[in-house]
Formats: sequence, structure tokens, C-alpha cells
Amino acid sequence: MKKDIILKVEGLKTYFNTDEGVVKAVDGVSFELSKGETLGLVGESGSGKSVSNLSIMSLIPSPPGKIMGGKVLFGDKSIFDLSEEEMRNIRGGKIGMIFQDPMTSLNPFLRISTQMVETIVLHKKVSKHEAKKRAIEMLDLVGIPKAYDRINDYPHQFSGGMRQRVMIAMALSCDPEVLIADEPTSALDVTIQAQILELIQSLSKKLGTAVIMITHDLGVVAGMCDNVNVMYAGRIVEKGTNDEIFADPKHPYTQGLIKSVPRLDKPKQKRLYSIEGQPPNVIDLPECCPFFPRCEFAMDKCKTAYPPVTKFGDTREVSCWLYEEKTRGE
Amino acid sequence: MTKYIIRRVLGLIPTIFIIITICFFFIRLAPGGPFSSEKKLPPQILKNMQKKYHMDQPLIVQYGQYLVDVLRGDLGPSYKYKDYDVNYFIKQTLPKSMLLGGLALLVALILGIGTGMISSLKRNSWIDYSSMSVAVIGISVPLFVIAPILMYIFAMKLNWLPVAGWLDDGGAKTLVLPVLSLSAPYFAMIARLSRASFLDSLRSDYIRTARAKGLKTSVIMFKHVLKGASLPVVSYLGPAFSGIITGSIVIEQIFRIPGLGRHFVQSAFNRDYTMIMGTVIVYSLILVFMNFLVDIIYGYLDPRISYS
Amino acid sequence: MEMEHYNELNQHVKGVSLWQDALKRLKKNRMAMFGLYIIIFYALISLMAPILPIYSYKQQVLNHQYLPPSFKTAGQLLYEKKSYFLHAMAAKEGRTVLNSKEKKQLSDLKQSLAVEKKKLFNGKTVLVNQRHYLLGTDSLGRDLLARIIYGGQVSMMIGLIGALTSMFIGVVLGALSGYIGGRFDTLLMRFVDIMYSLPYLLLVIIFMAIFGRNIANLFFALAIVSWLTVARVVRGQVLSLKNSEFIEAARASGAGTGRIVFRHLIPNTSGVIIVYTTLTVPSFIMLEAFLSFLGLGVQAPFASWGVLIQNGVYAMTTYPWLLWFPAIAMTLFLFSMNFLGDGLRDALDPQSKNKL
Repeated sequence: MKKDIILKVEGLKTYFNTDEGVVKAVDGVSFELSKGETLGLVGESGSGKSVSNLSIMSLIPSPPGKIMGGKVLFGDKSIFDLSEEEMRNIRGGKIGMIFQDPMTSLNPFLRISTQMVETIVLHKKVSKHEAKKRAIEMLDLVGIPKAYDRINDYPHQFSGGMRQRVMIAMALSCDPEVLIADEPTSALDVTIQAQILELIQSLSKKLGTAVIMITHDLGVVAGMCDNVNVMYAGRIVEKGTNDEIFADPKHPYTQGLIKSVPRLDKPKQKRLYSIEGQPPNVIDLPECCPFFPRCEFAMDKCKTAYPPVTKFGDTREVSCWLYEEKTRGE
Repeated sequence: MTKYIIRRVLGLIPTIFIIITICFFFIRLAPGGPFSSEKKLPPQILKNMQKKYHMDQPLIVQYGQYLVDVLRGDLGPSYKYKDYDVNYFIKQTLPKSMLLGGLALLVALILGIGTGMISSLKRNSWIDYSSMSVAVIGISVPLFVIAPILMYIFAMKLNWLPVAGWLDDGGAKTLVLPVLSLSAPYFAMIARLSRASFLDSLRSDYIRTARAKGLKTSVIMFKHVLKGASLPVVSYLGPAFSGIITGSIVIEQIFRIPGLGRHFVQSAFNRDYTMIMGTVIVYSLILVFMNFLVDIIYGYLDPRISYS
Repeated sequence: MEMEHYNELNQHVKGVSLWQDALKRLKKNRMAMFGLYIIIFYALISLMAPILPIYSYKQQVLNHQYLPPSFKTAGQLLYEKKSYFLHAMAAKEGRTVLNSKEKKQLSDLKQSLAVEKKKLFNGKTVLVNQRHYLLGTDSLGRDLLARIIYGGQVSMMIGLIGALTSMFIGVVLGALSGYIGGRFDTLLMRFVDIMYSLPYLLLVIIFMAIFGRNIANLFFALAIVSWLTVARVVRGQVLSLKNSEFIEAARASGAGTGRIVFRHLIPNTSGVIIVYTTLTVPSFIMLEAFLSFLGLGVQAPFASWGVLIQNGVYAMTTYPWLLWFPAIAMTLFLFSMNFLGDGLRDALDPQSKNKL
């Protein structure tokens, strides 16, 4: 059993009303995060990873977005029942966030010092002077050289990797319990990616911060996560520990994902595997397993109903008709 | 920064020079002159008149003379109103026009940005729809329709405000209608522009970051959104100045305001060369200076612009 | 033809072209469609003006000055005016009924109004007092409705031809400037910058005042300055398209500059061009009206909306309809053009919502 659960998402549903129809971006997502854990959330673009996490922060633009159901428990508080002010205390204070594109995530019109200090003053209730000291410490910690001078620069004076470091420093400056990293390395050069991932990993261990690592890149997850959730078309299709997922992927989609990661330790394949087809359009999705058109094991059943959750031990869950037998057996 | 400003100011000189040159030859190109209209003057008097104003000399000499005079700050005597020089006329009228135009721009900016901000925050609400419809009306209804209609309603029918006049004979009340009419089209444009740019900013990643940091909406709006979102409005100020100058010609006529623009059209009809030239030069100076100011403000607001 | 099929998930999949998609979005935009219908209505009225049962725009009927808008005939209005006047006079003398002399005056008037005939421009002789002036008459007894319709013709023509001319100049120069680049581009953009910093409307005013006020001059004065913005926008578009793959491909297959610019670049900026044309028409109409308002535009006996509004402003204290009707007619049209332009922009370029 997991201990010290700090964030619990239950049956979260976030829909968007568009001209074309209702987009069920997140359709019943549940997961738990315990203290100090690093959880990987993996899926193709459009699978609902980011929307799930923006929903946790109540940052879904509404309209058109709307949270249609489910609960998010942060500690013992239900996030959707909080007042706007209580919610603001959580954002930035208890849960920090970093985003995909460091080039656009910092306000280009304000100095780094302004942007960092305002957050620290807001959540730590300290003077501006102390906040600035704290900000410089944090910049030092994330490896910005000459942080004391550079804090007065504008974002455009930093490189992409440095800006992401600034974002990390800002997100961690108020000692949050949870850090949500939304594709933190996708917009960066490969060499920088590894540095940033390592930084997140080492800092979270050092500060005891739990991390939700959202990514489309299984390679990222493999290196640093304790547990992995795989998402497809707005739902989690497979859960497990890092080792379980990589050693024994059960869902055909996870299997496909793993096969399509290029590997150096395996004999060179003729051609890198790729999952055929496109991720589905989640507008007006009929009742079915949305992966069936791309699945090599697709059965008739898959076309008419969404598969139930099959449990393997304490930590594994799979939603696939292939494992239905086992469910019935129990 | 200082270097940049000096360089820009030096850069203004050729522009002004080009404007003076174009205007000078443009005006003289046309057949006839200031003394050719009205009743015909006896040849000898005409000759004397032309001599008095140096019009008997070759055009290029006149041009050179005029340039020297302008450099000395002397815009010459009026051809139509004898013993009345252009400098004096401008000194009398310019402050009034500047007050009118300045107030109109200020009103347009404050109301326009405010409306745009509220509209973008309450996007697709009735406030948004109604204020944007008002803005399209403001853009579609010409100045010379808005002004008489406001005058008809508020001055003639309701008697709330004076029909015409200026500060010294009617007090601050006389300013209300001219300023409101003159600002209307620019208010409308600025409201639409700022709504669009506020929306753009609100959708941007850095505002998402600001929200994720737990900042209040008011802090986000005024500290994080306003600066970036006002950039398109600032770039629109250049065309707005130019529009307000031409607009003030109409407004000063309708409300009989003794400003610089009121007699501009009449001077043009009269071929009052020096008067037209003087007015155009003053207007151009204001316009060029304002455009320069806009660039400086833009650079101040956007740290990504460098002056090297 | 619209492609239509269903995918494996039984979802409806449609392939639509840019234009179909734009049309769909435009049809959804109620204000833009409203604008379109109004514009069609105006265009039809203008085109059919010669065969519509309206009076001449220049026919002066001097005793029909300043008749208010009404469904009654001119004769009735004149009779009521006289009767009102006589009753007022009588009331001054303390009487409530008219005396016989006054009654005679009235009945004589009625007689003469009924038979008075006038020869019109078109040679016909008609009973002038049987005329209906739905929107009233102006200071010279001309029918305001006819003047608004014929004035609208002039205004709309100026707007349309002006917009097309400035579009043509702007598109060609802008596209060439963007594509050729180099010195030509630098020179042209320098010129555009200088023109921008000039108070050009002042120059237009001087030009009109000095060179004479006729439609050709007006047209010329407006056309020489109005292509600037278009040229700039098209140049920007071309610059961004210039290095795209399809232009590379055209160049690789040996297409010359002319062919690339006119067959590849300009058609690909047609969305922007259409939107700008729609938005230039109202700005041209406004400019013309502005100049007409200053007495520099269209001259009598022709009218334009600007001229009518100018006349209306001077008469508005006592004869307000002379301002209201032309103002409404013009504003409604400009309104519609702007809404249509906005709608087209949103439809053709959904990314740049409400940008300029």
C-alpha cells in the first residue's frame, strides 16, 4: 500500500464545448500521488495529460472547458470545493508548475526578479528584500551562474535551457509539496533535456517534493519515475511501477510505445517500430475502446464497449479486453 | 538610449525638410495665386503686392528665402490678412487645438483601454457584445456625423451643454462635446485593438504561468497583461494623432473653436501660401514628434527592443 | 464537391477546402450576414435607381422647400402649412374660427394647388403638388429620397472604384517589393514610410482646394495615398511565403518572376486582399464624405452622402431630417461594410481574431 497520499484524483472528467461538439479531453481519470513520489504520466499529444493537470489546478479556461465530474483531493481538502482565494494559496504555494515551452512561459515584459519575487512574497509572506534573497538562492540552486546579477535580466536574455531552470527555480521557490512538470523538456535540445531532467530529479529528492512528470517520451519516464500511468484518449489505460511497465507492458498501446523507443542496448532493428494510425478525435467518441483501430489484437468486443479495469497485484492496472478473463476469474 | 534619441532627432530633420519642400512646390504648382481671386487688381498694384511678398522673384529664390525664414522661426506674413503674420496666428490658435486634441486622445485612450480590458475579461458576455457593437458604430459613423448629432441632442434639444464657443466665453462645459466627438472614432479603434490584444495576452503561456503561481486576477491584469497588451495600442497612436489632427479641422468648424484647423480649408481656397505652409509645418512637426515619442514609449515598454 | 466519409470509430469525417470552411464560418456570423444583405439591398437600389419610381435628384420645385418627411402629398402639406399659419394669426386676434376672407384664401389655395403643373427636366408636365416626398425636401425643393439614392450611387462608386484601384496598385507594388527585395524594396518601403509620416489628408485638402474640385481630382488625390497600407500588408505576406516550399518548387521548375508573383504569390494572399478590399471601401467613402463635408468633394448638382450631410448640418436646427436621413443611410452602409469585413477576416483567418 502507498503511504502518505497527498494528491488523489478520482474519476476526473473535463470536457470542452466546441462548435464541432463536446471534446472529452479527460474522461474519468484516477490516480494517486504520495509524498516524495515521482509519477510519470505518458501519452501522445491530445491524450489529456495536460488537461488533467490543469484541472487539478483549476486552470481550465472556462468557457469552453468544464469539469464535468470527479474529485481532486489535496491532503484532506477537495480542490473543487475551495474558494478562489484558497485555491490561489495552493497554486504556486503548495503545487508548483513548470511548462513545456520556456520561451513563452516567462513574461517577456518583466524582469526575472519581479516575476520570482512576487511569487515568494505572495506565498511565503516575507519582505521584498528577503524574497529577492530567496530568489537568488533558488537561481543558484538550479545552476544559474552569477545569479546575483542575472536576476535583474529579462527572459529574452537567457537561453532556452536557462529559462527552464528559471522556471524550475520559480516553481520550487515556495517549497511546494507537489511539482507538476508539463513536458518540461520537449522544447529543449537533447543535451539540455538530460540536464534539466536530472535537475528536477535531484532537486525533488533534496526538497522532498512529489513530482508529476507529464511527457510523451517514455525515455524521460524510464530514467526518473517511480510509477508510470499511460494515457490514451482521455483515460488511463495502464498503471504500474516503472519496472513493471518496462519489463512487462500489458496494454497493446504501452507495448507499442515501448517498442517505438530507440534503444542502444538491444541489437539494431531494421526499422524503428511505430504505432500505425492517428490518435482518435475525442469529439463524440462512440462507446468502444478508442485504441481498437490501431490495435493488432482488436476483437469485435473492442468496437462496442470500453474495457473494464483489470488489476494485477497492488500496483498494476490495465484496461484492455485481452485481460478480461482474469477479471472474471477473480 | 541617449545616443538613440539624438540619432532619431537628427533623423527627423530630413523628414521635415521633405515635407516643407513638397508642400512649397505643390502649392505653387497650381495656376493662380493669392491675389488672383476676388476682384481683379489694377496691374500696378498687383505688381507692388507681388514685390512686397517677393513673388516677383524666381521660384527657387523664393524657396531658398522661405527655408531661411523658417529656420529662423519666421513663418512670414499672411497674404490674405494684411499686417497679420503667421507666427502670431499660430501662437493664438495652436494651444487651443492642442488642448482639444490632447484631451480627445486621453479620453480615447482611457475609455478605449478600459473597455477593451473589460470586454476581454468578460469575453462573449453581453457586456462584451454591447461594447464591441458600440465600437463598430464608433468606427462606422464619421466624425462629422457624430459631432452634429451630439450637438443636436445635448446642446439644442436638452440644453445641457453649449452649442459652440471656447473656454474664455463658456467655461469647461464648452469642451465636453468637441472632445467627446473627436475622441469617438479613436476610442472605438482603441477599444477593439486592446480587446484583441488583451485576449491574445490572456491566452498566452506566460499568463498561464502567472495563474499557476496563484496571482490575483487584478495583479495579472495590471502587472502581467497590461504592458504587453498595450503595445498594439501604442503603435496605433501614430495614425491616431494624424487622424485627430484632420478630425480637429472638422470639429473646430462645427463647434466654432478658434483653433489652428478652423481656417485651414479657407486658407487653402484663398491660396494664402504662407498660412497654409505655416499650418502644415506646425502639424507635421507635431505629428513627427509624436511618432518619435511613440517609438520611445514602445521601446520602453518592450525590453526586447534594443537601441544599438 | 464535399468529401464525406466515416472513420473506423464511426465518426463523421469531412474534408473541406479553405474557402468552403470560410464560407461556413461566415454564414454562422450573424452580423456579417446582416451586413451582406444590407449591402446587397443598397447595391440593388443603386442599380435600379433609373427604373424605380423616384423623382429626379436635381429637379428643383421652389415652392416645395423644406417640406418635412410625410406620406401626404406636397399639396396637402402646403395647404396644412397655410391653414396652420392662418389659424395662428386668427388666434392672435382672439378668434377661434377663420373669417370669410381667410376661408377664401384657403379654398383658393386648394384650387390652385390641385391644378398647378410644372414642366420637368424629362420634358413631362405633371401635377407637382401630387408628389409624395417620403423623406422630405431640401432647401431647393429637391426630393431628399432621390438625393440620398443618387448620392449613394456616387459615394458607393467612389468607394468601390477607389478600393479596387488602391488594391490594384498596392497588391502589385507590395508583391513585387516583397518578392524582388533588394534596392527596389528598400526604396519603395522608404517611400511608404515618408508618406506615412506626412499629414497626407492636409495635402489632399490643399490639392483639392487648389486644383479644383471635381470627381477626377478627388479620385486621384485619394488613390495616390490609399494603396500604402495594402502594399505594406501584401509585402509582409509575400515575404513570409517567399521561402516556402511551393515557391521553391515553382522556381525549381523554371517559372519566371512574373509567373511566380502573379500565379503563385498573389493568389495565396487573396484572403488578405479580399478582407482589405472590404475594409477599404468604407474608408474611401468616409474620406470622400470628409472632403465633401469640407466643401472639397462632389459639386452640385451631383451629390454624395458627404455633401448631403454637410447640407444637413447647416439646416439641422430647423429641418433636422436633412441631417438624419443621409446620416442614417451612410452610417448603415458603413456599418454593414465593416461588419462584413470583420466577418470575412474572422472567416478567412480564424487565427487572427479581431486583429487589424
